[in-house]
Amino acid sequence: MPPYIRVKSSVLIFILTTMSNQIIKKSKGFNDDVLWSNLKEGDEKSFSILFERYYKDLICYGNSLSPFSEKVQDCVQDVFADVWVYRNSLQDNVVVKAYLLSSVRKRIARLFERDHIFRKTTSTEAIEFLFDFSIENELVEDEVTAERVLYLNKLLNDLPPRQKEALYLRYHQGLSVEQIAELLDVNYQSANNLLYRALLSLRKEWKGSIPLILLISSSVL
Amino acid sequence: MQKRNNYTEIEDFLTDESFQLWVLSKIDEEGWEEWTLENRQRAKLVEDSRLLLLAMKVQDVNLPSSEIHSALEATWEKIEEKELLLRNKSFLKVNKIPRYWLNSAAAVLLFVFLSVWFFKGNSLKSSSEVTYKELIAETDEGLLEQTNNSDKPQSITLSDGSSVLLQPNSKLSYPKIFTGNERKVYLSGEGFFEISKNPKKPFYVYANEIVTKVVGTSFRVKAYSDQPDVEVLVRTGKVRVKSNDLVSDVKKEEIILLPNQALRFTRKDLIFNKINNITEDEILVKSVGNIEQLSFEFTDIPVEQIFETIEQAYLIDIDYPKDKLKDCRLTTSLSDQPLQEKLKIICKSIGNDTKCEMVGNQIIITSRGCE
Repeated sequence: MPPYIRVKSSVLIFILTTMSNQIIKKSKGFNDDVLWSNLKEGDEKSFSILFERYYKDLICYGNSLSPFSEKVQDCVQDVFADVWVYRNSLQDNVVVKAYLLSSVRKRIARLFERDHIFRKTTSTEAIEFLFDFSIENELVEDEVTAERVLYLNKLLNDLPPRQKEALYLRYHQGLSVEQIAELLDVNYQSANNLLYRALLSLRKEWKGSIPLILLISSSVL
Repeated sequence: MQKRNNYTEIEDFLTDESFQLWVLSKIDEEGWEEWTLENRQRAKLVEDSRLLLLAMKVQDVNLPSSEIHSALEATWEKIEEKELLLRNKSFLKVNKIPRYWLNSAAAVLLFVFLSVWFFKGNSLKSSSEVTYKELIAETDEGLLEQTNNSDKPQSITLSDGSSVLLQPNSKLSYPKIFTGNERKVYLSGEGFFEISKNPKKPFYVYANEIVTKVVGTSFRVKAYSDQPDVEVLVRTGKVRVKSNDLVSDVKKEEIILLPNQALRFTRKDLIFNKINNITEDEILVKSVGNIEQLSFEFTDIPVEQIFETIEQAYLIDIDYPKDKLKDCRLTTSLSDQPLQEKLKIICKSIGNDTKCEMVGNQIIITSRGCE
């Protein structure tokens, strides 16, 4: 009797492991890294999936750098077109989203350089984050919250454009600090500073105006 | 244990997807509500993070999947174009050119280079001069070109409804249809522009070393390649003028011109001179064209006379049923409108199914008389 059970359980374990492997493989089939390497080998389907996955995010980011939405669409599509056309020379270990966001930024900067007739500066550094953060109005229930959120929103929008861009990339596009550093072409420490300073200045101001709210992290510990 | 128990900073919460989901979509999969209430200080931190998240909304881009799909299709088309271009390039590389060919080509190139250098050095042209040809070469769009070799001005209607009165010995290059967010045309010689209003698509006139930017107005640009000055004169609206970026050594200033102001740009010294009152400038007073002298302010004027004024201003023919319109009178102000707009307004004012049609430089008006 016991040997029988043992055989049975090992079969069961085998079945379970193959099943879970399949599940992993299946979900991994839609994982960025796999799609990326399939794309490099010329898989059109993987290209399309990545396009559909990130097109909207890239348009959103592009619109925050340029007021000309038609040109932004053009840039984003060009970025994807180049990915396909030069797929053989793409690098292996990239974070796809960060790579695409960075390519869109570079392309828009290049566009700025070309059409700079009525622009005061021409350097790619001058490419500026234009977005204003807005308020999740439907989630604000009471007046006290509304007041605080409105104030915070104003503080956020008064931050320097680069700090705003760093916050946007960190919390809305989900990039890591390393990726933000690479994208903004600064070193890790500077990127970290951008984020840290943004939050710090928010804290200072906020604390000053609403002393009831203690924002200092040490107070928590 | 749970990683959130170690959270000490707002930053930790903001990057936690499950936390975001809870705040923004009210989906509390991991029991945030309860966890928060466990500890008072923790509750404060959570509340602060929540408020910050609420204040940091990014407007969602409204992109239905149909649009993403058509964008994907457009991208595949782009890819095809790019691949075709690449193939042609590599085809050229593969095709080996015989060596002696290369040698003679190099010799010819050297000769051309030397002679260009020689002539450039000899001519009076300074390096700062920008010509119409260079401007055209800078663009990559396909442009139509209209040259006026006659002795009378010609009128051109652009795809956005703007009209240009091109003077003799002048050239205008413009796209067949304005695409994108800008309207750009290139002028050599003299033209009077009446631009249809569209603040979203500014209109640029490139002429020699300067660029004129407007949103919708009427103005004149005079930029003959063989003359020492470039002039811009404004009739209505507001115009901005700047030097072309191809001219590197000029100060990047932008000059704003209002009605009856003008600007003279000295090409040799690259200096802008603003003229605040055109009636005080002798050269300008003399050169004011027909269209700029004519008034388009009509008060109870017979339609016949209005048509005559337009015919004179734009040097076009208007064909209209004289007997049917002989008793019609109009009061209207057309100064600020391009030709097409002027006609549209007149025909609408006459009413009664009056239609205006423009075929080349001929305008045909059909009407059953005024109301």
